[in-house]
Formats: sequence, C-alpha cells, structure tokens
Amino acid sequence: MINRALLPAGGGENMLHCTDMTVLERQRARIKWQQEQQQQFQLQQQEISYFTELADVFHQAGVHEGGLSEVVTRSVKPDPGLVDNGWNNDHVVGYGVGLPYNNGLGFELNYGAISRTSSCPPEAVAAVAEATVKGSESVVSDMISSGAGRESSKKRKVDKVQNNSKAVAEEDTRDKRIKGCAEQGESKITEKNNNKNSRNNNTNKNSNSNKENSDETSKDNSKVSEVQKPDYIHVRARRGQATDSHSLAERVRREKISERMKYLQDLVPGCDKITGKAGMLDEIINYVQSLQRQVEFLSMKLAAANPRLDFNVDNLFAKEQAFPACSINFPTIGMSSDMTNPAYLQFNPAQQQLVACCGLDMGIDPPDMALKRTTSAPVSIPETFLDSSCFTQTHPPPTWDADLQNLYNVAFDQGRQTSFQTQPFTGSIEASNLKMEM
Amino acid sequence: MRDPSSLKQQFLKKWILGLQVCGSGKQNMSILERKEAIKLSADIALASARDGRTRWSRATIANASKHDDNKVLVQHLLAPESESLKKSSIGLVVRDNKRVRCKKILKWSCCVKRVRKSVSQVVLAKSIAKRMVNRKTRVLKSLVPGGEFMDDICLIEETLDYIESLRAQVDVMRTLAKATELVNGK
Repeated sequence: MINRALLPAGGGENMLHCTDMTVLERQRARIKWQQEQQQQFQLQQQEISYFTELADVFHQAGVHEGGLSEVVTRSVKPDPGLVDNGWNNDHVVGYGVGLPYNNGLGFELNYGAISRTSSCPPEAVAAVAEATVKGSESVVSDMISSGAGRESSKKRKVDKVQNNSKAVAEEDTRDKRIKGCAEQGESKITEKNNNKNSRNNNTNKNSNSNKENSDETSKDNSKVSEVQKPDYIHVRARRGQATDSHSLAERVRREKISERMKYLQDLVPGCDKITGKAGMLDEIINYVQSLQRQVEFLSMKLAAANPRLDFNVDNLFAKEQAFPACSINFPTIGMSSDMTNPAYLQFNPAQQQLVACCGLDMGIDPPDMALKRTTSAPVSIPETFLDSSCFTQTHPPPTWDADLQNLYNVAFDQGRQTSFQTQPFTGSIEASNLKMEM
Repeated sequence: MRDPSSLKQQFLKKWILGLQVCGSGKQNMSILERKEAIKLSADIALASARDGRTRWSRATIANASKHDDNKVLVQHLLAPESESLKKSSIGLVVRDNKRVRCKKILKWSCCVKRVRKSVSQVVLAKSIAKRMVNRKTRVLKSLVPGGEFMDDICLIEETLDYIESLRAQVDVMRTLAKATELVNGK
C-alpha cells in the first residue's frame, strides 16, 4: 500500500526517486504498476468506447439536458491523461460523470454495470442509458421504439433490451440496478405501453437453461416473465404456470393471505403444526371464541364482586398515576415502585386502613380527597427509598401490569412479610412518613 | 406486535372512566345490568384505544352508538378525541359496508350457475376444501365485529389486530378481578 500512496499524479518516475525503497522493491512496484496500468488501460478502452456510444446515444436522442452529452464527452477526454494514474482512475472517471448528475441518474452505478458487460451491443447500452434518464418520457419512448424495435408490451423496457442482447448473465445485475435507479421512469413508460400481449422473456436466474436467446417467443408456460400492473407490484410468474393477469392476480392474493396466515400462526397458540387453511381458520375461530367467552366471564365476575361498580377506583387511579411516573424513571425508582406496593398495602394497620378507606369510602368521601391521600403517600415513599439505596430486591420488568401483578402477589405474602424483615429501619421511615401524611 | 403494555394502560384508563360514568348513573343495578355495563365499557374502551384505525374498532363503536342508552357512554369515553372520532367511525363503517354490498350485488348478478359434470377426484377434493374454507370464513366473519363486510385479506388483518386487543383486554380484566378479589377479601 505504500507504493500506491506514493504514486503521485505525475507518473511512475517519481516513485523511483523515493529513497526509502530498495531497488528490489522499486522494481516490484514498477512491475505491478505497469500491470495495473495495462488493466486500467484496457478498462478505459472499454469505458471510452462505451462513453462514446453513450455520447452518441445522447446526441441522437437530443436530450434536452444539453449538459449531459457534454459532460459525457468531457469525461472521455481526461481518460488518456489519467492513464498514468492507475489505481484511482475508476473513481475519477466515474466520479466525473456521476457528480453533475444531481437529478439522481445514478450514472455511477450504470457505469459499473456497463464496464462489466463488455459484450453488450450498443442498443443494449442505449437502452440502459435511457433507462436511467428520469423524466424525459418522450426521449425514452423514442428509445424504446428505435432501440428495441419490438412491439410494446406489458413488460418493462428492460425486457426489450434483453430481447436484443446476447450476453444474458449480466442482465440480472443490470436489471436490478436499473430497477433501483429508474423506477419512476419505468412506471411512466409502462403506462404508455398499449399492447397487453404478455411476451415472456428470460430474465431470471431460474431459467438460465433456456437462455439461448434466439427463442424470444411468447410461450406462456415456458419462461419467466415480469408483469407490471398499474399499481406497480412486481409479480414473477413461476415456471410452468399460467401468466395471464387473472391468475397472477389470484396468485398475489393467495400469497398475501398465506403471509398473513403466518402471522396468525405466531399469534394463536398451538397453530404451528397445522398447515392447511381450513385447519388454521378452525383454530383461529376457536381462539377468538374462547377469548370472547373469557371476557364475558370476567365481566360477570367483576359484576358479582362489586355491588356498586366502584372497583376501588381511587386505589387504581393512584397506583396508575404512580406507576407511569415510576416506570418512566425506571432505573432509579422502578424498584422503589415495587417497594411502594408492598409498603402501601402491606406494611401495617396504617396502610391497611388506607386501603380500606379507599375501597369503602368512595361513596362517602369525595373522590378528590381520597386521591390526594393516596397519591401523596406513594409519591413520598420513593424519595425515602432513593435515600436508602441498599436494596437487594429483584427488579420488576418495567411494565404496568407487572406492577399490578406484584401488587396482589405481595398482598398474598402479606402474612409472611419476609421481604421486610431485612430492612426494618427503612420500613419505619416509611411508616413515619405515612403517619405524617395522614 | 404493538406495545402491549401501553395498550393495556390506555384501555384500563378508558375503561375505568366508562365504569365511573356507568356507575354514577343508576344505583341498584342487577348483576346482569352491571355485567353488561362492564362489558360494554370494556369493549368501547378497547375499540377507542385503536383510535379508529382498524375496522373492527370502528364497527364496535358504530354498533354501540346505535343504541341510545349507550350513546352517553360512548361520548364520555371518546371525549378526548371528541365527537369527530365517533362520527368518522360511523361514517367509515357505513361507507365500507355500502361499497362491499355493491360489489357483492354485482358479483351475484353476473354469476352464472355452472352445471357440474363428472369431476375427477382431485377437483372434487379441491372444491370440498374450498367450501370448508368458505364456511369457516363465514363463521370468522360473524365473530369479528364488522367482519361481514370485509374481504379475505382484510379479514385476516383485522382478526390479527382483534386477537391482540382481546388478549390485552382479557389480561387487564383478569388482573383487575384478582385485585378486587384480594382487596375485598381482606
């Protein structure tokens, strides 16, 4: 790499003047450099030829962006000058062409594609070039008619290119690049295509075996085709299947359905082993029915448990207000929120009274007061717990329902009070706070 | 899957609101009335948590608004988003249903009864399978609110969302039930 770094724009002689290198190294470097030069030169020859072709193309097309052709030709000229400077030639040339194209032609990409497709006839190149020009529909459509010389079809014009070309293997790469570069241009063009005759042609790797391109005929079943619909969903007809629009639409629809069924499989438990649509639908129906029945049952249970539809609203509201705040500041207060629940519910008669008050007094006390009472208590507690930081409690996951779960889980443990015996003094701080609040 | 815990939070908030609205109205409701009130407020809360983005939610809200006694509840629950959501949901449901009905009428008018000749085994099996699938799809459509007016693809998407929401609803209700049990049990 040192050699490369030392290569100035002037030429190889400078290299030889460097005293750091031994004679042997210099010889080696010179040989390498010469080889590279040769390679570059060959590449450039190709590039130059392509560029000239492109320039011709653009001249012919009478591209309204006059600067385009100029740039192309200009970029061709410096090439010989850059012959010495081997290794970064690619970049320079490509750069020179790519830069002015701020309208997003992506010429650089095509440059790369072109240099590889050495055996492409000019028509193919022309079509490729035209494929990257955005927005000049008339130009492009001219190119289609002139370059391709075929009747228009539903396919994109790239397919027409491939009608002509003989080197097919590179088409895939070019295909994809063109697709990436010129979606808009193509879509406009295909709208203009009148003939709905589906000429199938070989663009896919699947049909490599059939790529003796002499048979560019429209056999429905033999080859792969690309069909473009008005909403630009690219559909590939599989080999050996019908390719008229109805069946393709059917296939799209079926694929969509099966894709969504897969999501459903993940969602509904026990659906992994079932493969048919009918079976899956069966499972889904059962699941939905069971969920709905559960909702009914639970609402009945709640109705039975609450003669007055009160649901300890204050209780829940307080917790709810406390929890979002807690879960937001999860790292610091999260675990203290966990502590607040047990503290809140469990700690002692003081708290039990608090809870009981909330539960029963809704009818009597105005809700506001109860809310104040309950919200103030949990809020003060986290602060005390922040001070006393010596906790070994497990961190709850920062979800709200987990907190609620902890609520009644700990309430279950009420009798045992195991978690609090290790920190009695902090508990007493709490209790004092609570008493103060109350 | 969308964030389940936030969905649950939202749902619970709205549900409690709705329950308050229900509870403040009548006293001495029978257990069935209470159950209906609970379920209704839960359903509307769940549907409104989707902000009218899914068809089933719009359908539930529209259905609920049809009955006058529920309108108050709906209004309260949707108060933050105001009347616009309710109206838009009703309007969208009506529009969707009309469109689908027209399509169906067209289809039926153009459909020709085919004479069934002797068919091979494979074709017979296929047709049987198709009929089964159709039957099950109809059942599913009856389960998902607003499902009768959806095509297959839409139906499956809506079912996905509906299952997710139902799950959240069941979870929240279950924990609430347990909590109240515990609190009451003391």
